[in-house]
Amino acid sequence: MSELLRVENLVKHFAVDQGVVASHLGKKVHAVDGVSFSVNKGETLGLVGESGCGKSTTGRCIIRLLEPSAGSITFDGTDVRSLRGKALQSFRRDVQFIFQDPYASLNPRMTIGEIVSEPMVVHRIGTPATRRTRAKELLDVVGLNPEHINRYPHEFSGGQRQRIGIARALALNPRLLICDEPVSALDVSIQAQVINLLDELQDRFELTYVFIAHDLSVVRHISDRVAVMYLGKIVEVGGWLGLYDQPHHPYTQSLLSAVPVPDPDKQRSRERIILEGDVPSPIDPPTGCRFHTRCPIAQDICTATEPELREVADGHEAACHFAKPFPITAEAPAAVAGEGAVAG
Amino acid sequence: MALLEVTGLRTQFFTRDGVVKAVDGVSFELEQGKTLAIVGESGSGKSVTALSLMRLIQEPQGRVVEGGVNLGGQDVLKMSDTAIRAMRGNRIAMIFQDPMTSLNPVFRVGYQIGEALRVHKGMNRKRAFDRAVEMLDLVGIPNAAHRAKDYPHQFSGGMRQRAMIAMALACDPDILIADEPTTALDVTIQAQILELMVELQQREGTAIIMITHDLGVVADMANDVMVMYGGKQVEYGVADDVFYRPLHPYTWGLLDSLPRHDISAKGELCPIKGQPPSLIDIPSGCAFHPRCPYAKEICRTTVPALVEIEPGHSSACHFSGDPAFRRDQVACSADMEAN
Ligand SMILES: Nc1ncnc2c1ncn2[C@@H]1O[C@H](COP(=O)(O)OP(=O)(O)OP(=O)(O)O)[C@@H](O)[C@H]1O
Ligand SMILES: Nc1ncnc2c1ncn2[C@@H]1O[C@H](COP(=O)(O)OP(=O)(O)O)[C@@H](O)[C@H]1O
Ligand code: SF4
Ligand code: SF4
Ligand SMILES: [Mg+2]
Ligand SMILES: [Mg+2]
Repeated sequence: MSELLRVENLVKHFAVDQGVVASHLGKKVHAVDGVSFSVNKGETLGLVGESGCGKSTTGRCIIRLLEPSAGSITFDGTDVRSLRGKALQSFRRDVQFIFQDPYASLNPRMTIGEIVSEPMVVHRIGTPATRRTRAKELLDVVGLNPEHINRYPHEFSGGQRQRIGIARALALNPRLLICDEPVSALDVSIQAQVINLLDELQDRFELTYVFIAHDLSVVRHISDRVAVMYLGKIVEVGGWLGLYDQPHHPYTQSLLSAVPVPDPDKQRSRERIILEGDVPSPIDPPTGCRFHTRCPIAQDICTATEPELREVADGHEAACHFAKPFPITAEAPAAVAGEGAVAG
Repeated sequence: MALLEVTGLRTQFFTRDGVVKAVDGVSFELEQGKTLAIVGESGSGKSVTALSLMRLIQEPQGRVVEGGVNLGGQDVLKMSDTAIRAMRGNRIAMIFQDPMTSLNPVFRVGYQIGEALRVHKGMNRKRAFDRAVEMLDLVGIPNAAHRAKDYPHQFSGGMRQRAMIAMALACDPDILIADEPTTALDVTIQAQILELMVELQQREGTAIIMITHDLGVVADMANDVMVMYGGKQVEYGVADDVFYRPLHPYTWGLLDSLPRHDISAKGELCPIKGQPPSLIDIPSGCAFHPRCPYAKEICRTTVPALVEIEPGHSSACHFSGDPAFRRDQVACSADMEAN
């Protein structure tokens, strides 16, 4: 498999300039602090972590919505940060973004036909007539009725608006989609519709996804590989099965053990690691291992020396001085809730 | 006798666009020390059910049009306003998804927690504040005596949620209603808050009504589960029955829509097609029929009643009583239709 995207030592710091405590003036928010990963063609890389860990900032740096403070981003062999003119135009066609909020991300004064055609207008592709045909085709692709092309966003539900956003992202035949929490605002039944749609589109159009979300079950379902972030760093990365069944980093282990599963027996018997306290501020991240203030197994070395990502199993890396597998029990679907309708 | 008994609760809002039948015939019981989870998608009537119990529906736009809410022998719906104020916060307390709806930004946290104690328990300022500090300590706020003097904005999201729980529990209520208390929080913080609620419940014998759309949280917390759809109760029973032997096609659909990380194989997701109804224009017959893969003619014409199918386990589907009516994996067409 060939590599489509490579991110190396990505750093993004924001200056703290206003509205905060005086002692923070002149300091920086370490939003992303040395993140590296690569994504192969046709693959989905999941980026998961708690609020504020730097997922969206990473995504925004990749598409050049934000200027990185340091590091390199390579798309299909070319350095994204140096792109200018025609090459930049073509990059902007190839890489599209899907936003979390299906409400805020669509212009309420445009019809959905105009919304879906807009990228073609911006990139001066086609005539009004061909764009309209293409817009109808795209609506059909995402499971909306093409006849509704003249309706406005407020006439659609949350799940439908997310489909409109997906149709717009597909308009220019992109190769890479960065999906930032695309299903987080949706109800479970609708969330499942959109996940299945993304899955299907990936096969149909040979798309590559970077899928950002905080819901661990959703990320596992959609991803081939998963990277777990904590305070601006990747703490663990690996194939979906290994990462979820044999997490090696104490943070991944606690995250997984904290997600309640829809099975009362399992909930009753689960071994849970309850982390204490909150995520520290990214303005003054802890020294050494950033997780040491909450880590249940931290030692002296953890405050002094930062652990590097190192291979713990095939294609599976963790950044912990004491990384070791902690099997989170998962079993065959035999015990899945309710095979039959009635007691029997 | 149950601590709380709700029968045939119906709550409506009268809007320009028509009558919103937000809660349409809901009945349940709650025992001391137990947790009832109310689960359903957004707009299914969960919050309005809770607000109705607390008599917090704003009239005249909204009104409880029918039903009974029996709290220890008294009908809450018939209580005087004075009696209601004495009940709220004291016998039944509520916590919300957004703590800032209960916390006032201009008062210190400790003072606000103490307020309920001054009003309901007649404590003086000093005693109320001391008790507030105790409560903050109990819910795990480090350095509580000091932090009680902070304003809400100086707390993190998780700490505000804890402060709100401290406030709700200060008067030692019989019933705690928690409306999506952890939905806005990260999972590690959610785990802390849920554990705290269970701990307090075990210590004080508080009964909890847990409103959530997260079936994982339900499995974690609930003794009993009520599933709502379109303002109606579609399934009701003890948690194990509802999870392991669900009866209603909507419950099946919810369970089949969930990606699971606790099962090794990656299963197919079977979404429910279409979208939830508007409560102004509820479909005829069974409100779920436009989305239900099992719907027959009768579903379009006749509203199914909530029927007890096995002891303590009821469902509102015309076919739930038929032993041959089973959850059919083939019904999962994974279809892409959104309309
Ligand atoms: N423009 C900005 N100025 C200052 N700080 C910022 C800015 N954008 C993001 N941050 C900070 O950078 C950190 C990472 O933010 P980011 O939005 O990437 O988090 P995230 O992982 O996407 O979180 P969430 O799950 O809440 O979306 C946070 O501490 C955030 O407050
Ligand atoms: N104050 C109000 N005025 C009019 N309609 C309302 C009001 N509050 C709630 N509703 C409607 O009642 C229905 C149920 O809402 P709610 O109980 O909040 O749902 P949820 O299950 O998400 O908590 C929804 O259709 C909602 O729009
Ligand atoms: S390096 Fe130390 S503090 Fe960090 S996760 Fe490993 S054990 Fe915990
Ligand atoms: S009554 Fe009919 S439409 Fe309603 S859930 Fe049962 S089968 Fe489906
Ligand atoms: Mg984000
Ligand atoms: Mg609600």
